[in-house]
Order: sequence, then C-alpha cells, then structure tokens
Amino acid sequence: MKDIIIDGKKISVKEETTILDAAKELNIEIPALCHRPTVEAYGACRLCVVDVNDGRKTRMVTSCNYPIRKSIEVNTQSERVRKTRGMLLEMMLSRWPNVDVIKQFAAEYKVTKPRFIHPLVDYSSNACILCGLCVNACSEIMWEDIIGFAGRGESRRVVMPFEKHYDACVGCSTCANICPTGAIKMIDDPNQPADSKRIMKYGSKIADEMVLMDEEQCDMRGVGTAHLAQIMNDYDLFPTCNYKFGSHKDAGGLHSDVFKQKYITQGLPDGCWLGCSMSCAKTVEGYELKTGPYKGDKVLIDGPEYETIAGCGANMGIFNPEFVLEANFYCDTYGIDTISFGTGMAFAMECYENGILNKERTGGMEFNFGNEEVGLEALHQMGRGEGFGVIVGQGIRRMKQIFAEKFDLTKKQIKFMQDIGMEAKGMEYSEYVTKESLAMQGGYGLALKGAQHDEAWLIFMDMVNNQIPTFEDKAEALHYFPMFRTWFGLMGLCKLPWNDVEPADNAETDEPAKVPGHVEGYVNFFSAMTGKEIDKHELILQSERVYNFQRVFNYRLGFGTREHDSIPYRSAGPVTIEEYESRAERYDKQLVEKWDYDIKGKTSEEKRDYLRKMREADYQKLCDAVYKRRGWNENGIPTIQKMKELKMDLPEVLAVLKKNN
Amino acid sequence: MKTISVNGNSLKWEQNMTINVIIGKMNYTFKMLVVKVNGELIKKTEYDMIIIPAAADVRIIHLISGG
Amino acid sequence: MKKLTPDQIEIIQDKRINELRKYKASLMVCAGTGCVSAGSLTLKELLDNKLKKKGLQDKYLVVPTGCNGFCAQGPILVIQPQGIFYQKVSSEDITDIIESLENGTYVERLLYKDKESEISIPKMENIKFFGKQKLIALRNKGIINPENIDDSIARGAYLSLAKVLHQMTQEEIIEEVKKSELRGRGGGGFLTGLKWEVSYKTGKDRNKTPYIICNADEGDPGAFMDRSIVEADPHAVIEGMTIGARAIGASEGFVYIRKEYPLALKRLRIAIKQAKDYGLLGENILNSGFNFETHIHRGAGAFVCGESTALIASIGGKAGEPIASYIYPAETGFRNNPTIVNNVETWANIPVIIEKGADWFASIGSIEGSKKSTGTKVFSLVGDIENTGLVEVPMGITLREIIYDIGGGIPNGRDFKAIQTGGPSGGCLPKIHLDLRIDFDTLTEAGSMMGSGGLIVMDDKTCMVDIAKYFIDFLKDESCGKCTPCREGLINLSNILTRITKGEGKENDIELMKEIAETMELASLCALGQTAANPVLSTIKYFRDEYEAHIKDKKCPAGVCKELIKYKINDNCTGCTICAKNCPVDAISGKPKEMHFIDQAKCIKCDICNEVCNFEAITVE
Repeated sequence: MKDIIIDGKKISVKEETTILDAAKELNIEIPALCHRPTVEAYGACRLCVVDVNDGRKTRMVTSCNYPIRKSIEVNTQSERVRKTRGMLLEMMLSRWPNVDVIKQFAAEYKVTKPRFIHPLVDYSSNACILCGLCVNACSEIMWEDIIGFAGRGESRRVVMPFEKHYDACVGCSTCANICPTGAIKMIDDPNQPADSKRIMKYGSKIADEMVLMDEEQCDMRGVGTAHLAQIMNDYDLFPTCNYKFGSHKDAGGLHSDVFKQKYITQGLPDGCWLGCSMSCAKTVEGYELKTGPYKGDKVLIDGPEYETIAGCGANMGIFNPEFVLEANFYCDTYGIDTISFGTGMAFAMECYENGILNKERTGGMEFNFGNEEVGLEALHQMGRGEGFGVIVGQGIRRMKQIFAEKFDLTKKQIKFMQDIGMEAKGMEYSEYVTKESLAMQGGYGLALKGAQHDEAWLIFMDMVNNQIPTFEDKAEALHYFPMFRTWFGLMGLCKLPWNDVEPADNAETDEPAKVPGHVEGYVNFFSAMTGKEIDKHELILQSERVYNFQRVFNYRLGFGTREHDSIPYRSAGPVTIEEYESRAERYDKQLVEKWDYDIKGKTSEEKRDYLRKMREADYQKLCDAVYKRRGWNENGIPTIQKMKELKMDLPEVLAVLKKNN
Repeated sequence: MKTISVNGNSLKWEQNMTINVIIGKMNYTFKMLVVKVNGELIKKTEYDMIIIPAAADVRIIHLISGG
Repeated sequence: MKKLTPDQIEIIQDKRINELRKYKASLMVCAGTGCVSAGSLTLKELLDNKLKKKGLQDKYLVVPTGCNGFCAQGPILVIQPQGIFYQKVSSEDITDIIESLENGTYVERLLYKDKESEISIPKMENIKFFGKQKLIALRNKGIINPENIDDSIARGAYLSLAKVLHQMTQEEIIEEVKKSELRGRGGGGFLTGLKWEVSYKTGKDRNKTPYIICNADEGDPGAFMDRSIVEADPHAVIEGMTIGARAIGASEGFVYIRKEYPLALKRLRIAIKQAKDYGLLGENILNSGFNFETHIHRGAGAFVCGESTALIASIGGKAGEPIASYIYPAETGFRNNPTIVNNVETWANIPVIIEKGADWFASIGSIEGSKKSTGTKVFSLVGDIENTGLVEVPMGITLREIIYDIGGGIPNGRDFKAIQTGGPSGGCLPKIHLDLRIDFDTLTEAGSMMGSGGLIVMDDKTCMVDIAKYFIDFLKDESCGKCTPCREGLINLSNILTRITKGEGKENDIELMKEIAETMELASLCALGQTAANPVLSTIKYFRDEYEAHIKDKKCPAGVCKELIKYKINDNCTGCTICAKNCPVDAISGKPKEMHFIDQAKCIKCDICNEVCNFEAITVE
C-alpha cells in the first residue's frame, strides 16, 4: 500500500493503482475523454493530465495510466494543469466544434471560441474524435480487430481493413456503444428490433460486467465452464467413478489452471455466438492426437467444457487432461455426445468391476476405471461401428437391456445395474453428484427431456446454502427455476450471461440466486426486441405455457407420468457399502437427526438399507409437492384447470387430457 | 459448548471468530459468496474484521448456478 | 566453418595483419552510400582490373571501405599506410594513381586544397577535417573492408567479447559500462549502464528473459551517422550487442533498421552471417556456454518508429505507436519482458570501453561538473558548410571549432546565422552560442538538444521562419497522431507558420504558437510530441525580429518566403537578355542593351534569373 496525497487529501492505495482510480475513491473528478473502465487506459486525449511531485521533481502526467509506486503528491487543478487542459480543449473544439462531449468539457474550462481555424474542421455533431475507444473495445473486449486506425498524424482515421466493409463484423454494437460522440451507427439489423437503444443499454451492462468482473468471478472468458471442475471437487460434487464419490486426490490434474496454462488458447473470440462478450467456448489449438484415424495430426479441439472434463475424466476414474482432450476431439469427430459417452462408459466400467462384464464379453478390453487405453479404444469402436463399443454406444438404458438378455445375470446383478445405471428417461445424467441434494434429484428426475440440468441446478442452494429446507421450498424452486431457465431456450438465448457473471451489487438484492439485475435485463430485452412489454411474471408464464404443453405432449406419447419421473438409486443415495462408508459420518448423522434411527450396533448394510428406504420415500414426497405446485395431478399429469389458467386449453390438449381423466 | 449456525449447520464457536475463519473451517473455496450474520450483509472487505458472536446465525450463500 | 575459441581469434588476427603487411600499399576506396552513388564501386573494379593487367595485384590491395565522412568530395580514395588522401576521384585518374604509387609521388590535382591558404594537403592527418577528430565509434572507418570479418578481427574485433565471456561476470560488465558514464547516443542521453542494470535486475526479479534491440531507424532528415557506422563497421555493432546481451542475460536480439538503407542492410546481413559462421553468434559462443542470436527487422518508413516503445510495437507487428513513458521498456518492453533499446553508435562504443577500460573512456569528453557527457559523438555536418560530412569529436568541443576548424567555415563568403542541432526536434542556436561546448546538457539548456547528432549549418540567406515551418511540416507528417497535443498542435503550428510565410500573419500568432508549444511540451505522450515545438520555440527565442518582420511588415528579410519577396532588376543590368530568355513564365521584358524589367504579376520567384545573371543585376527584397 502506498500513502499519497491528491489535492491535499490523503489516501492509501494498492501499488499500481492509477491516479485516476485513486482520485475516484476520493470523489475527485478528473476529466477524461478516451477512458472507460472496460478497456485499458489508452492515454490519447491527454485531458486527464495532472501534476505529480515524486519528491524529486514535478512533472505532468496522464492520471489514467500513471501507476502509483511511491508516495507522491498530486495536484489535479494546478494553474498549469488547467491551462494545459484549456489548450487541449481549444484544439479539439477548433477541429470538432459541435461535438457535445467536447463542448461540455470546454465550457468547464471557459473555452468557447478557439483562436485558430483548424484546416480539418468537421462540423458534424457526431464527428469521430479519434479517442480510440472503439478500436480498443473491439480488440480487448471482443478479441476481434475488425476496426483499427489507418494513417498517421492528420490522416489518422478509424477504418475497417483496406477501408472496405469487413463482413467479420457481426454488429455486436460494442464499438457503437462505447463511442462518446455517436460517430458509429448501427445499420441494417435484419432482426429489426423495436427499440435497439434499449437493448444496447442492457446489453452493454452485461458486457461491462463481463469485462470488469468475470475474471475474479468465474473466469468464463479465460476457461469457460472448465472453472467448475475444482469447485465441484472441493464441495464433493465431482462425479468420480460412476458417481460413487464426489472428489478424488488426483482431481488436481483436471483443474482449470492446467487447461488454461498449457492448452486453452487465450484472447480469441469463439465461434459459438459471434459478438458475445463472454466468448466462453474455449479451444485448444495444435494438439497432437495420440490415437485413432488422425493419430499424429495437430488438431483444434472445441472444448473442453466442464461436462467433458468431468464425464470423460473423473467419472471414468481418469485424471489426465490429455485423455479428456483426445476424447473430446474424437467424440466431436464421430458425432457422439461427451456426456453420454462419459456416463455410459462409467456405467460399463462399474459393471466390469462387478463381474457383470468380463474380458470375454468386452472383446478383450479391460473395462476398469482409469483405463485410458480402453477408454479411447471403445470410442474408436463406436466410431467405426464395430466391437463392444457399439453396445456401449447405444446408451445405458439399452445396455441394461442387452446385458440382461445376452449375459447370464442374476437377479441381484440386474437390480444392481438398475441402481447404478445413471440415466433418467433414457438419457444419461450430466456431471453433478446429486446424492445429497433432494432438490437436485428432482431437478434431474423431473426434467422433461431427461437427466439434464438445463431446467434446474439447485445443488448449492439446497445442500450448501440450505436455502430450501422444506418440501414446499424445494417445490417452489422446482417451479421457478425450470420455468425461468427454459425461457432461454424458447428465445434462442444462451443462459450463461444470466448467471455465470453477476453485477457487483447482486449480493445486496433480495434474492441473489435469481440475479434480479439480469432478470430485469432480459425482461427489457424481450420488450425492446418485440415491442411487446412484459414483466418478470409474464416471462415465467411464457415459459410455463410451453412447458405444460410439452408435458402433455410427452403424456400423449405414453410417457409424462410419475412412473417415468423415476431415478436410479445411485443418484439419491449410497448403493454399495463402500459408498456408505465413504460418507459414513454424514449418513449416520442424517439417520439419527432426520429420522430418529438408532444406529447403535447396526451394520453398514442395515444402515444403508434403511437410508435407502427413507430417501426413496422422500423422493416420492418431493414429487407430490412438485406436482401440486405445478398444478398437475398426483400422477404428474397437468390438469385441465391448469391448462385453462394458462390459456393453453387448446383443443388438441383437451382431447388428450379428457381421454385420461 | 457454545455454537453458531452456518447455513443451518452447527459449528463450534471460538473467540475471535471471523468470516474468513469460518470459511476456512467449512472449506468454502468458492469465490462468489453473499455473507449475512444475523440478517445483516457483511461486505467482502470486512471478512477479516467483524468478530462473530456466539449463537450467531451465519448465512454463507454461494452464488452458483452451474453451466 | 569452424566455431572459434578465444585463442583462435588472435590467430586469425595475426594471420590477417601479416597478410596485409605483404602489400606495399592498400588503396582504400570509400564505399559508403555517398561515394557509391558517385561511382566508387565502378572505380574499385577498374582499379582491380588495371592492377591485374599490370601484374601489380600482389603489390597493391584495393579495399572497399565504409564512409570516410568527407562526403561532398567523393569518391574518396585513401592510400594506406601512407595516409594519402584523394578526393573526387574518377576512372580517368586510375592510371595516374597507379603511376604515382610506383614512383612514390602524388597526383596533385586530386589532393585536398585548403580553402583559405590554397595549399594542397596530401596527408589525411594534416587535413583539419580529419585531424581534429577522435575516433571511437568510427575507429575502423575507411580502414577495413566491412564485408570481410577477418579485416575487423585484424583490428581487434571480438577480443572484447572473448574477455567479457571468459573473464567478467554479468555484474562486472554492467559496472564497467556504468563507470564509463556512457550516455545513449540516440538522443535520449540516458546513462547506458544504469539502463542495463535495470533490465538485468528486472529479469532476475521477475524471472523474465530480457531482449536486446539496436535502434538503427535513424529518421532525422540529413542524419547518416548510424548508416555510416553500419556500412563501415557492422561488427562493432554486433559485438557491442552481444556484450550487452551477455551483461543483461538476453539470448535474442533485433536490429531495427530503416528500409531506406539497402547498403547498410546488405553489409549487416553479410556480417551477421560471417559472425555466425565463426560461431561468434549462435549457440555456445566462444565455448562459453552463452547463446545469442540477432535478427534483422526492417522499418517501413515511419519516423516515429525511432521512439523506443513505438519501435518495440513495430517489431511485434503492431502499428508504430508509442505508449506511456511511465512504463519503462527496460522493465517491460518487447513481449512484456525487460528490453534494452540502444542506438547503433552506443553499441559501437561498447567493445572499446571493455578493451580500453571505463576510466579511459570517462577521461574523454565533457567531464567537468556533475553532469558529464563522456566519450565522443558522431555528428553529421551538413547545410551551408564548406566541408560537408561525418565527424566524430570528443564531447565538449565548441560549435566554433566544429564549424570553422573542422567544417571549414561558411562557403560563398556568407555569414554564419544559425546551427540546428539534434534533428527536427532540436533547436536553432545563433551566433551568441558559437562558443558553446557541445554536450547533452549544454545543448538542452540553450534550448536545443543533442538528438542523434545532426548539425545543420545555416548562412544568412536562411529564413528562420521558413526553417521552423520546414521542420514542423516534417514532424506533422511523421506524428503518429495518437495524442491530441502532438497531432493537433503540429497541424495548427504548421497552419500558422504557413500563413506567416505567406504574409497572412496575425498579431497574436507568436504568443499563440508559444502557448501551443508549451502544451505540446507538457502534455504529449512521447518525446516526438514533447520536443516537436523546439524548432518554433528556439527560433522565436533567438530570431523573434524575423517573425515580426513577416507578421507586421509582411517582409522576409532573408529573401526566402516567396509571397513576401520581390525580384527586381537593378542598375547593374547590361541588357544582355539572358534573364528574359531563361524566364519560364516570360515575366521579363526589355530591349537588348537596355535595362530590363520584371512584371511582378507574372513572376513566380523561381530564382532562375538570379542564377543566370552574370552581373548581379537581380535584387531580391
């Protein structure tokens, strides 16, 4: 920390703080034209000059980028500073006499009529004042360099390459938004928004947060969703060896730092959504493949996302980042979903380790957890369409059927497969351990499309924050969040800007988990886009209408009832003794405190079985509460009344519901 | 034995217990936290300063919604 | 090619010296750009052929050398070891030269004639232009073939490197350079040793490998010091850079050389290759375990790229724009690593400092008082001066000595008016400063600067307002345009000065220009902007009356500014009609043998009538 004095006021600041920032803390305003907190200080306009006395001499410096490294004395309003600013403004005013922001500053310094005639005078009120904000924003925020400066001195101007229109520009409006004079116009928006200014207002808020807060929050711009690996491991939620455990001593190998430092290219925009200021779809460039048809080639890998890291890593008992990368690449190449691959392989591996599969049945592959070679060979078999890999490639639901049919299995083994096969509605679970969160068991089990967290992600709210203790609380969360989160899908929007970056004041709001500042943003976005004003309640209703319609649709196809909302026990509690004992303290405690169970003298087996009974009952109770909250009947079917309330009592809907009521 | 409640969990109370101490004991490594003690919001800059009294109701809300 | 060990350098040195001794004389043909453009390479070829024809090729060696510095009198040929100096040599002189060699005489007509005494001076050392110089950076000019590394080694090249690699620690090297008090020759004048120390320490503290850069961008109009050093003795620069790299712990270096120097570029490339072949660049140099590679990066025609941070940006592939000066390249430079940017001349001094010692170097130059300027400086002496060329003199020499002793005074019987020092950002110093002892600080105090060493002499037919306009226009074109005061300041200064030279000056123009200049000095981002107003400020300071004549009286006393002068025919006119015949716009009328008359409306002031008149009948007023 350094003690400095600005205009006679003392303040203590961290080393490398700029004078401009230090002055802000003292509420001292220093004029600046080319400065914004979201881009690096450029030092071009020179308006922010101040006098600095470092003990040896006084010099005039720009406060926006002068780093405080020792105890200095700063004067922001000395006579020569004022005179200099006045002259700078006189020069600017002579060249751009009608630009508001210059006129405003000039008036403060009593400059109204310049004493010289500028040979390049531009009378437009939207003149470009060469501040460089647009160029720097495109470069630093969007990681594109679509505009830049050409020429020098009096011919300096902002252009696209070769002064032609460059169609890499997608109209993200970052430059137009940051321009202080309105010199950049948005043209030709094929989406024809009703009120583009309003959209830009809220969009730029999120963009600013992205630049200013993301690095210390989730670092989406640096590593994307990969940042979750270490968090999940720390909180015992990292799916390890087919969801048996939630952490592993070797999980450090999959820490996002490893990927960031060694593999992931930094500072490049991604191709997911051109113009996105989060740009979280990371890539690894120039990776040399070790196996498969492209062995030896240096390739670009689109990833790795958290799900791939967890699924094709820890869940398979593998903690080698390069395995994850290679699996990522080949899954993409073969058109295989990495989650289904990882969770499916984990199932097969546990089957192998428990005698349901053996070398004969797998065609010689040793399907042990941690076997990287087998992991990739099975993937290549899937790709080629031959070998045991083809069976694994059909997914857990079909694997269970096939194994039961083909192999001579005992009843116990078949039940075991039921318990450990992490699929719901035929879709493999995504990569979070739900064992200790009833709300999240519901989040996965009750999701319309299968076991994925698109609808609800409640583990922390439930398990760690303990914010939804009762069934009703959980049911309320399982109403609001699925409705809110699926709204993004309806609109064709990514939901990550909603919750993977947060406004600085989010903590102080009433319901920080909902990120109300951003909800407001999206409500405004919809209204400004369509011209139809909605509020946050209508937003939920929009989603609720479609959601219920989808449920009826499922039902019409023969699904969509309580039976199909069932979950494998591995997702709700410890299946094996080993699992029970790995968290014995926690389970014992719950048995005693929640259900008054006397654990004295009981074996792990007995305790496990009792726990299971209680937890399975709890899940059904959760379903009861959720169906009620959603306005569905006890079997999980939407009632006609509910559909009427939602104004979704369409003839085809009523036809289905009436038939079965 | 004096205790405090952290997200509904019982934790042994100690003298000079600050938020950072509690975070350490609970192994809360996640960065985006909202901390309230007896309903009052505690700013990050105060994590090392405010001493937590016995029987306090401490809420350490993790703001994470998964990806 | 075998990679050399330190012993082997001395072996090559002895070998080459002995080889050269076998010749009765060496014919040093100047092959600097100036003389080459005057045909010196053709001269060399013809000499070689003639000698061969006569069977004398083992008796006399023809050596193409770097610039001797006496550029206006080229092509230059010097006979060594006798030191006979021939100027304006042409192919017709070859026979006579060879004959004189055989006879032990001179070719009289090719000798230098002292202007005043009119005496011919055969020996170089007796010519004041050369005799008063002290050569350190240019120690090998005119003596070696820069395209043959053995010639450089014969003169001691790379022995300092060997000493540094095997007998000195990094700290010791830095200490030696610090003790010499060598200051940057590119114009910044920073203490070189201190700069190196910063990079060395930062590199260690932050675990970052430093970089070495040689600034050979030399953008000042009329400056050719760096070009001459590289053309004459590229190994001096390479050796200097390698020593610097060893000192600070760098393993990679760049020479940033302006694209407009093809000959220097060629010689540099050859020198780097030859050094590499001898293992004097690359891995494990001289068996010391030290690695150093240097790359060439060419500029693309921007004066601002001579500024260190803009240069570093340019090497990194970005536009040459400077950044804030509070971020020292010595700490955070190329690729965010500590980077030393030193000028060509600075590097050329390093091997000598190591060889002869810091104390020896520190005993030369301007060494009194607390602010010293040790060593020598290479100056390019151009303009209205008798002896135009390149000189290296000890710091502290007076302007009078340079202009009159070395430079031979002002030609055409005119009077000295001013000298512009330090390139476009320098200032103009009038007569009263003729006894100024030149060093970094005296020049700055007087309102000018050392810069990279340009000296432009102006006679009394120079308009100081026009000079200011010329430099301001140059800087206006070269300003990168990033910061307001430099970009707008120069545009407006140029505009005001143009008005003044056209007779449209306004009463408060001088004060306005001073205000603009003050703002530029205080608020500009880099040294270009901060010093850009110097030409205006120094000419206002010393020649204010000229400005006032332009503004108030609408007159140009020196007779330069076209809108303010009139061409008139005076009584001397004999009516010879030459002027009328040559006037491109038919503005002169008159009968033969009668006084002629210039029509002011038509006259474009091209000065042709004045040039062709033999009777001094044209008055410019």
